[in-house]
Amino acid sequence: MSDATASVPRKDNTTRWLLLPGIIWMALFLVTPILMIVYVSFWTQTTFNISSDPTLASWKQFFSSDTYIGSLWTTIRIWLIVLATTFIVGYPTALFVGLLVKSKTLSTVLLVICVIPFWTSFLIRVLAWRPMLGKEGAINIILLKVGIIQQPIEVLLFTELSVIIGMTQIYCVFMVGPIAFMLARIDRNIIEAARDLGAGFGRIFWKIIFPLSLPGVVVGAIFVSVMVLGEFATSGALSGRKVNLLGNIIVTQVGSLKWAMASVVGVILTVVMGIVIAGFLRIVDLKREL
Amino acid sequence: MESRVLKPILGVYVAAFLLFLYGPFVVLTIISFQQGPEGGPQFPIIEWSTYWYKHIFGLTPPSRIAPLPVGEALFRSLVLAFMTMVTSTVLGVMAAQAFRKRFKGASFVFYLIVLGMMVPGVLTGLGTSLLANNIIGIERHWYTTAFATHVAYTFPFAFLVMLAILNRFDASVEEAAWSLGVSPWMTFRKITFPLIFPGVLSAMLFAFTLSLDEFPRTLFASGRDQTLPLAIYGTFSVEIHPNIFAFGVLTTLFSFALLSVYGILMALSVRRAKKMAMQEDIV
Repeated sequence: MSDATASVPRKDNTTRWLLLPGIIWMALFLVTPILMIVYVSFWTQTTFNISSDPTLASWKQFFSSDTYIGSLWTTIRIWLIVLATTFIVGYPTALFVGLLVKSKTLSTVLLVICVIPFWTSFLIRVLAWRPMLGKEGAINIILLKVGIIQQPIEVLLFTELSVIIGMTQIYCVFMVGPIAFMLARIDRNIIEAARDLGAGFGRIFWKIIFPLSLPGVVVGAIFVSVMVLGEFATSGALSGRKVNLLGNIIVTQVGSLKWAMASVVGVILTVVMGIVIAGFLRIVDLKREL
Repeated sequence: MESRVLKPILGVYVAAFLLFLYGPFVVLTIISFQQGPEGGPQFPIIEWSTYWYKHIFGLTPPSRIAPLPVGEALFRSLVLAFMTMVTSTVLGVMAAQAFRKRFKGASFVFYLIVLGMMVPGVLTGLGTSLLANNIIGIERHWYTTAFATHVAYTFPFAFLVMLAILNRFDASVEEAAWSLGVSPWMTFRKITFPLIFPGVLSAMLFAFTLSLDEFPRTLFASGRDQTLPLAIYGTFSVEIHPNIFAFGVLTTLFSFALLSVYGILMALSVRRAKKMAMQEDIV
């Protein structure tokens, strides 16, 4: 039976022809654009134009400017914080959905409920945080009514905090999904066996559950990192232009036709992204987890 | 024991989590019913009204607030999403089909494709614009450059979905067809494709929704004519009015409708598969 493939006369070319269109598309519209960014970062920028004469001017400008260097550190800081908050917010939820809920239907329903907010346009979801966090926003109104605070909290909106809150809400589901998926795959007998041998929940969690859910955490972390590192809309809309990520710098530079500078920032962002993803992929083999 | 304590605690936690997840949407819905045109996008609600919904469709008397420029943008976005859906699903099915055999460089090709979902949109958008402007020398449009970047983004999703489906695929039915002398193409059309159809639907859904809402990839690459997310982004810089929230509620309802269609198609295809299986049993 298993030798049936061998007896079927099939040209080996099929694989090649099936792959070729996809490979060409990715080479032309993904790899070439990135190489183009690297190339243009060495071009000469004049006020309204760029020419292909090679120069290091834009690079020197990037590394001698506090604004640009600062945005690199802001990006890394926001990325680390959001990675932590999405994990902290998401893991217990995933634990409940993936492991503690016994009924398959209920856990599917819970996952669907988590995905529903994504049917609202991303930009409108970001904007919705403004009437939520503002001085006269929903959170302040509720906290005042309950009597927890006497004065409205003003640091909620147009600060770094609002960017972090917004990003956490928008991206935490990408953490919940993969982790819940890995937790659901754990063989319940292992947990039973550990319990029969007298292990407490804490011990079972740290010795069995957490290590087995780690690939899910890494996949979730990759999703969140990819999206947060390339962000500019949330930081633009919720920080009142106070938080400038690398993405924001690219958008402003393109807006003022400074393509060379935008490219330099683009290369920096690519390098950061490459290091982060390569680091995560060392921990888990994406192809095998599928 | 512990789980008896843990489960209720986590249950409460999940409820709080859902509140966090849905809070903004609830607020958005409430504010979309703000009185107009004086009422702003904040609390308190002066008076409940459907003014801003009428405002979107141009049913209100002219006021100082310009209607959302979404009409043509919505049309462009739908066409773009459809083009992206078809292209990336075809590419995805083909590539995943190729991956059923071992071949040299499989790992390289896998990561080349998956790279498409890992590179930030702002970078592909920037790179494609630079390429179009300075090397090829063409104008940027939503149906050329933006289309190219959209497919480069959604193709990996379609590919991964199809890969997951084909991994669980029982190849013996295909082998049976081949051994009966059916041509590979005919086998694919009559045997493989109907069996993987639910996966194809999911891949299409992924590609369509991702493209419809795609913003960073379109920002630089789409040129003069705006798509829907760009039209919404345009209101960021100016003052925000509750009409944007009313529009958000409407698009969400539209997504619901879209997903219902997907659900119905899925249910039909499952039922048809069951029917076919039963007929085979009778024969």
